[in-house]
Amino acid sequence: MSEFKLTRRDFLKASGASLFLAGLPIPGYTQDKPPGTISVIILEGGMDGLTAIPPFGDPNLMSMRKAITPENFLKLNSFFGLHPSFNFFSGLMAKNNAAVVHATNFPYVLRSHFEGQNLMQGGGTAPFSETTGWLGRSLDLAKTPGRALSLDMPLILRGHNEVDNFFPASIKSSSKLKDNLIDMITQSHANESATSFGKLKKKVGMEVKNMPRDPASLAVYAGKEMAKENGPLASVIKVDRFDTHANQGADENGNHGAQLTIVDDILKGYREGLGDAWDRSIILTLTEFGRTAFANGTNGTDHGYGSAGLLAGGMINKSKIIAQWPGLAKRDLFEERDLMSTIDYRSVCAACIEKALGLDHDIIADKVFYTPKLPRVYDYIFS
Amino acid sequence: MNEQFRVAHKLGLMFLPETPLPDDVKSWAISQLNSKSPALGFMLVSRGTNTPIQEWPRELQPSLDERVQMWRTFWINEDLARAKKDGQDSASKQNENRKNLWGERDELKFVHRNIYGEDQLRLRFMAFWTNHFTTGNIFDNINTIGHAMDTVVLANLNSSFSDMLYKSTTHPSMLTYLDNIWSSGENSAEARDARKNGFQAGLNDNLGRELLELHSVSPSAKYTEKDIRNAANVLAGWGIELKRTDEWMRSQGADISDYSNLYKKRWAEPGVKNVMGKVINQGKGGLRELTDFLASHDHTINHLSTKLAQHFVSDNPSKSDIIFIENAWKKSNGNLNQIHTAVIERAILSKEPKFQWPMTWLFQTLRLSGATFVHGWDDLNQDRSIFKRLMRVDKIFVELGQSFWSTRQPDGYSSDKAEWISGEMFERRIRFSEAIYKAGRPQYNSIQIMDRIGAGAPTRKLVDGFRNEKEKFIALMCSPELMGLENV
Repeated sequence: MSEFKLTRRDFLKASGASLFLAGLPIPGYTQDKPPGTISVIILEGGMDGLTAIPPFGDPNLMSMRKAITPENFLKLNSFFGLHPSFNFFSGLMAKNNAAVVHATNFPYVLRSHFEGQNLMQGGGTAPFSETTGWLGRSLDLAKTPGRALSLDMPLILRGHNEVDNFFPASIKSSSKLKDNLIDMITQSHANESATSFGKLKKKVGMEVKNMPRDPASLAVYAGKEMAKENGPLASVIKVDRFDTHANQGADENGNHGAQLTIVDDILKGYREGLGDAWDRSIILTLTEFGRTAFANGTNGTDHGYGSAGLLAGGMINKSKIIAQWPGLAKRDLFEERDLMSTIDYRSVCAACIEKALGLDHDIIADKVFYTPKLPRVYDYIFS
Repeated sequence: MNEQFRVAHKLGLMFLPETPLPDDVKSWAISQLNSKSPALGFMLVSRGTNTPIQEWPRELQPSLDERVQMWRTFWINEDLARAKKDGQDSASKQNENRKNLWGERDELKFVHRNIYGEDQLRLRFMAFWTNHFTTGNIFDNINTIGHAMDTVVLANLNSSFSDMLYKSTTHPSMLTYLDNIWSSGENSAEARDARKNGFQAGLNDNLGRELLELHSVSPSAKYTEKDIRNAANVLAGWGIELKRTDEWMRSQGADISDYSNLYKKRWAEPGVKNVMGKVINQGKGGLRELTDFLASHDHTINHLSTKLAQHFVSDNPSKSDIIFIENAWKKSNGNLNQIHTAVIERAILSKEPKFQWPMTWLFQTLRLSGATFVHGWDDLNQDRSIFKRLMRVDKIFVELGQSFWSTRQPDGYSSDKAEWISGEMFERRIRFSEAIYKAGRPQYNSIQIMDRIGAGAPTRKLVDGFRNEKEKFIALMCSPELMGLENV
């Protein structure tokens, strides 16, 4: 008999997460300020949409994945539930400040993390076809000049010249950066390395000591920065470990549930940090694929296709569950194994860009996602 | 840089101070592939001067058997602590128990050998293959990652790729990291009995998928989901949760005479399998048939020749670079000595600079300057005040943004500089240069280092622009030349 004991989580309570802020207006720049802010929570490894938003009304759900479906889900309507980890998010749903999109994904069906992640961040039409990301290109189109504040620079934000990253250092025996040192090193470099060193200058005197690095604190920090008069217009928080092939668990204490709790904490952190700026914010989740509809042999799930997306923020004024439910009967599954995706998630991203950055859908479709006929789903979410 | 240091920067970790430079750097580089690889380091920094460089003591390089026994002991004590028995829940016993965990000592050994080793090229190839066969620390494999580095990678650097692929696939660190220890064949005795009793059991395709996608043929081979599933069925049975007792392992049909070769017969999928057209026999031997097939596949050869070229030759290697390495691969049937020799030849021939990973840059900086920036293997048991000045190695890697012990995705770290160029990453280089200068107390100053490596005029101009030695040192280490951004 297989017996699974939790061991990892005992020792990995502090999950790694990184924060990226972008589109910080240059001081004095006032023209055409976009109407809102956009934040993306990247869920690396593949979030299980059927666990996050269990379609309990589908007669096949329990026979396919009883051991990994929470019993104590919160009811959203007569068909969809909400995982018990989403305590804060359920409150947002009740306040008409959140929405769920189900059976959705980027149009990618080959189940590789690395191709999928490249597509969901790059927003191109084939894996590894893009060296810039959809959010970076959007910020560029919205002509939001300025800098941004993390350790590496995720693909999603590349393509916007003024993007920079920020992640507070904690290195013994290192002190404040000095202007002339940075200037001279910058001058000795060329191209992108000169640009990167050059950006450090703006950080002189901006020491942030002992900033907590847990995901929720990063969200509070991001929210506060975005709430400032000339704060960044975009932020990205990356959370990993959704790739629960084994011992996925069902409720909030399970391995997948623990990751969903982190997402819930991040949303709560944004709400707290944004304050009044919540009203002009939109936050969305992004994952490379959903997971298999059937639980695998090790009480986990393997790589799949359709998943779910969570949307939150004051720019949403009516809570909705947006889905064209494909069904979970074997014949309705993609290749008889995965939840089908019936909504192109690029359309959801496009709607959020349209709302937050004030760009025209056709321009986003053409210049950001290179798909002129990308369906517009704005009205389903925002009106 | 002079030719010796240009080659050592691109392919190695820099010549240690006092080491004579070879006249024929290419012959030297190739001869490095067969140099001895003892794990060099030192015991103490805390008593004034460092103790001499010597090989890590045998008792700090435990065998897999010893690592497994310590892991089991850790869990027995941990269970007692949870039950609040035998005083195991006291802080002192908990601390004592954590000594059964080997991650931090393995990490220190890795750092030491990279700073003090005379096998600098071998160490770079070790890092390349360790990254190729990524196993991050998910705690369950904390005692085995360092062992995999030694026995999967380093011990096979002069062997064949097919040996390394098989050893990697069957090592407990990999079998644990990618969940194979839990996976049972769909029609195995284990799965059938479980189903009979109302339990879930069966396949987990994680390792099967990454074996194809990452470790060998890559998606360019256009394998199907069925191929992945069949590969997972070939793998079913391999690996055991190491804290299990020997008795339990035997009850699953495993031969426990060698923990690096654990196979649960009860969990194996009966029957032949077909992976990408190759028929694989049932039983334990099937995996070697599969990995040998994959290791010599044209798509593997192309995928890995490209990856090697991107890591050592150039971010954008030429077609002829890749073909040259592919030809060496094919001609030698995947002999890693021949493959690595081809890589060395192309890397030397190409005048393009190669941007270095944060950890490589750190090791190079420490070797050039003779700074003592990390502690000795016994310092944790001695005067701990040394840690007011020096950082623990795990912390150094966190701040560098790169560690072979971090939990990360199985595709490992990119060799493409675009993934590493950011303000924040660069800020770390400035800060670490300063920290190395202040806490590491370099034995050589910027002028001495520049003279030795034959630094180019722009680098000298940059360094000369500063008055104090600390800033000169920082500027030198963050110069385009030493970061591998420009050849000067």
